[in-house]
Amino acid sequence: MNRKLFVASTIGAALSACSPIGTALNGNQGFHDALGAAEGLDHLVIGTRGMAREYRDADIDAQFRVNGLDTPSDARYKDYAARHFASYRLLVDGAVARKHAFTLAQLQAVAQQTQITRHDCVEGWSAIGKWSGVRLGDVLDLVRPTADAKYAVFHCLDVDPTGAPYYESLDLRQARHPQTLLALRLNDRPLAPDHGAPVRLRVPTQLGYKSAKWVHHIEIVASMRSLYGGGGGYWEDQGYEWYAGI
Amino acid sequence: MMGKMQPAVHRYSLVTRLAHWVWVVAFLVLVSSGLAIFNAAPYLDASDRSDPARRVLSIDAPRDGVGTTTIFGRTFTTTGWLGWADDGMGGRTARAFPGWITIPGPYSLADGRRWHLFFGWIAAICWIAWVLSAALKGHLAQMLLHPRDLKKLWPMQAYYLKLREAPPPHGRYNPLQKAAYTVIGFVVAPLVVITGLALSPGVDATFPFLTAIFGGRQFARLWHFVGMGVLIGFVFVHVFQVLTQGFANQMRSMITGWYRPSPHERGEA
Repeated sequence: MNRKLFVASTIGAALSACSPIGTALNGNQGFHDALGAAEGLDHLVIGTRGMAREYRDADIDAQFRVNGLDTPSDARYKDYAARHFASYRLLVDGAVARKHAFTLAQLQAVAQQTQITRHDCVEGWSAIGKWSGVRLGDVLDLVRPTADAKYAVFHCLDVDPTGAPYYESLDLRQARHPQTLLALRLNDRPLAPDHGAPVRLRVPTQLGYKSAKWVHHIEIVASMRSLYGGGGGYWEDQGYEWYAGI
Repeated sequence: MMGKMQPAVHRYSLVTRLAHWVWVVAFLVLVSSGLAIFNAAPYLDASDRSDPARRVLSIDAPRDGVGTTTIFGRTFTTTGWLGWADDGMGGRTARAFPGWITIPGPYSLADGRRWHLFFGWIAAICWIAWVLSAALKGHLAQMLLHPRDLKKLWPMQAYYLKLREAPPPHGRYNPLQKAAYTVIGFVVAPLVVITGLALSPGVDATFPFLTAIFGGRQFARLWHFVGMGVLIGFVFVHVFQVLTQGFANQMRSMITGWYRPSPHERGEA
């Protein structure tokens, strides 16, 4: 019996070493990078193929949860909000044939799409909202990305406590997905400041952090290496996957 | 061991032994990194979207210094273990599962996901390779529960309960082992992988029936957690059996492949 006790306690000791061993391995850059190989496999296998489920009006959550960085409080944003975003412009430039700065009225004049879809946060929770706005694909058709264009990068007005701005990106296939929207409305009302007014991205086929709020500049690029941390997004630069379908 | 010693037989192929130990590592990592991911939203709802009215489990810190766990509406104080627990840095904080059990160490959702999604692939690829190899060698047929084994399940249990002198005659694995391996290896483990996939928005869009059959995203997350619990239960029973049924012989067989059968295992091929 003593031997069994010894073996059992050895197993216990080995288990309690797992977390520290994990921490040490996690600090090894080569190992950490190797773990990232799963992202390429996920992108290949799951990809951006189907359509996110669309719900009925009765499924909409009365209060759509607010998460992420704080609502911008700088002078520029306050000025936009004070004038009901009349002075807001959405600049779309970079690797495009015709760059353009869209006013809110111009975005509202493009054919509006509505979707009732579930927002899945990377933390694990989900909420259902009704989003209306412009298909990003329709905006891309207006500015016409050039042959070398690969990604759409979304520059946002919110900054973290260290001053680092939020940004996100999609490849052009994801950007042209019929459910990828530049949302102007949530639940039949113009977006509230906390939900990303006046324009937020809506990508129901991926986790919530891809759906950037307070978008004011879309830059079409061939590579994202030189932008910010090079990861293609604010959270991606902190270790989250760029492909967020899983 | 009781009875006359039998000559040792080569019981486990190299593929089986490698797969076994890869799964040991992958399982430990998947559980601890899974708990790290759970910590970001420490509640489980039996619904598609998050819905407190359909909450089955939640782990909270109602105030500093107090941890609680609520299951089906009944709240238990779990300070120090769940809710208010080890922060991985020598102190305690509002944390569902404690830092000593999560990988990699102190709370990181990004790193927990990175480990979880990588080792999920390792476990799944290892499973496919092992099943193919075992099927080709005819090993699967010896391991899977056959309808004719069903009437031997109770006699085997009776033997374990010492209500019966000898186990019913059986081949390489006894009927209860076959039942456990079949249910765990071919039902529960695949379901845990599938529910993990089903709670992802990309998978829901590409294969909508997957998320739907489990009752939606949050429900898939709940099943994923329940499946983990079943697998942990299996591992406890499995390790207990190894400890009590000739530990050295069992360990040697899973390392070198050589196993010395007990007298009633004469049916060994």
